[in-house]
Amino acid sequence: MQIPVNEPALVETNGLVKDYFIGGEVLHAVNGVSLSIARGEFVAIMGTSGSGKSTFMNLVGCLDVPTAGTLKLDGADTRTLDSNALADIRNRKIGFVFQQFNLLNRTTALDNVAVPLIYAGLGSRERRERARETLTAMGLENRLDHTPAKLSGGQQQRVAIARALVTKPLMLLADEPTGALDTQTSEDIMGIFQQLNDQGITVILVTHEPDIAEYAQRRILFRDGRVVEDVPVTKRRAAG
Amino acid sequence: MNPRAITGRIAAWAVNVPIAFTALRTNLMRSILTTIGIMIGVLSVILAVAVGEGAKLSVSQSINTLGSNMALVFPFPDTDGARNTADSGRVTMRDAIAIQKSVPGVFDIAPQLTANLQMSVAGRNASTSGLGITPGYGRVSNVDTELGRFISEADIQTAARAIVLGPTVARKLFAGFDPVGQDVRVNKVPFTVVGVLESKGSSFGRDNDDLALIPITTARQRFATATLQGPDDLHVLFVGFDEGIDLGPAKKEMTRVLRERNRVQEGQINPFTIRTTQEFMEESGKVTAILQMLLVAIASISLLVGGIGIMNIMLVSVTERTREIGLRMALGAKGSDIRNQFLVEAAVLCVIGGLMGLIFAALISSAVQKYADFSAPVGVGTAIFAILFSATIGLIFGGYPAIRASRLSPIDALRSE
Repeated sequence: MQIPVNEPALVETNGLVKDYFIGGEVLHAVNGVSLSIARGEFVAIMGTSGSGKSTFMNLVGCLDVPTAGTLKLDGADTRTLDSNALADIRNRKIGFVFQQFNLLNRTTALDNVAVPLIYAGLGSRERRERARETLTAMGLENRLDHTPAKLSGGQQQRVAIARALVTKPLMLLADEPTGALDTQTSEDIMGIFQQLNDQGITVILVTHEPDIAEYAQRRILFRDGRVVEDVPVTKRRAAG
Repeated sequence: MNPRAITGRIAAWAVNVPIAFTALRTNLMRSILTTIGIMIGVLSVILAVAVGEGAKLSVSQSINTLGSNMALVFPFPDTDGARNTADSGRVTMRDAIAIQKSVPGVFDIAPQLTANLQMSVAGRNASTSGLGITPGYGRVSNVDTELGRFISEADIQTAARAIVLGPTVARKLFAGFDPVGQDVRVNKVPFTVVGVLESKGSSFGRDNDDLALIPITTARQRFATATLQGPDDLHVLFVGFDEGIDLGPAKKEMTRVLRERNRVQEGQINPFTIRTTQEFMEESGKVTAILQMLLVAIASISLLVGGIGIMNIMLVSVTERTREIGLRMALGAKGSDIRNQFLVEAAVLCVIGGLMGLIFAALISSAVQKYADFSAPVGVGTAIFAILFSATIGLIFGGYPAIRASRLSPIDALRSE
């Protein structure tokens, strides 16, 4: 992917470090990561459990604060932002997709998708309207009033993707989004990510499955908190 | 703040109400139990206020049974509580007439002698407090007869052996028969019953109908007690004032007249005591206000316990829903959004409890009014107070758990199981 000269990278890290203190010992979960991800990229972050890939994604998602180093999101240095500004970034610029979907029980698909719009300060009519549109785009127009318990795993993950998209973010952060799904459903979900990426949304995908990573354009491999490989995906898979 | 921003603020809070109801329904039993705690607290506070209001009401009613706007003059020195029996005081009939003549606003006077009366008729006995009065007593104290007639001017002139019975005495002696015209022996002297008073009920357990009235002249002739110093001394004098007369200046004027008549020197205490119904009202108002505050303070303890219940349940709720908090933060909730969500949840619990407490209090209050000789009214003011009070309890006791929730780190909350 060619980066235009004057456009800042969407994600830019410089010497990013995240330490944990466990039992009196320092664990460098992320240990000096410098990389940049441009708008419109589809990146798979790979690594074994404990490699630091999830910690890195939590930092990029502003869910966690780095111990050292810098993280710039869409040109803004996150170190200078307070917790309210970070909440705003999570709300407007980032959409999260989790392995366990993390939908609210006893809450309909429509209301689940509308949650981020509450924090964006939208009125209830507009929230419902936008949530309905986004769910319809996910092919769930007949499931609006279903609670998560009445939806299949694939449908739940599509509700979760709709929720991530409803605020029209710049990027999706997906942490093992297919980890709880069967092969066919996984392929469908990856197809959705590819479509969204084609529409211009940056997708950052954390996975430990090599074949899931093949849907991306670029593969970054983490080991012991460091980037050990950062290469384009040569034989890219296309879903469906 | 412009109107748009205000409606925006309200909408931002209102968003949390359905979230709160969903959360409270999830743990329905727990929510109900917590609500009952608040309900009992609010119920007891409202009832305490209502009992206080009822006490005020019955005090002012019992003062009104005396007669609404009047002064009482007693023949003992006004030493402000520290009574010294050595200086005995006096109030005489001539004092009464002087007051009637020279104090403005007096519409009538009721000079009185008191005596314990032992009455018997056909083997039935009754003992009561007797008042020797003039017809003025009826006008000043606002009493009239139910049967027969009142003590008349002619009765006074002739020192007639005529007696007017209070309803309680009439019932004791005549057991339902019409006593008017019947003979009755009073302290072994034969009297004729000329009338029966209308009932004035009771106040604070004291029966206002347990008395008998005789002409003041008869009382002086036949039952005069040793405490009287002269032939026209009185045990007490009621002075009735027109409606709207301020009894403060009136009391000053009466004091001036009586001091002059008794030739009291500058710096000497009054050989009489004047109390007005206005003073009774003010003093008993203070007493009932203290009583009410005391009751409310005691009742507030149960509300405090209810509030601690709220705090406990909200802490449990925050702990159970840490993951949800993390998720909401990931979706863009600020700390203040999370705080408000839990505050609204606590306030909803409390307001429901408050409403239930209010309904029960209103039911109990109307039952008391119906079946007991006491009213404990629950007014609109009390209702509004109760709702605001319980919402405040919710905000106070829900505050700590809510703030704790708002300070969670997104990633720690999201990772919690």
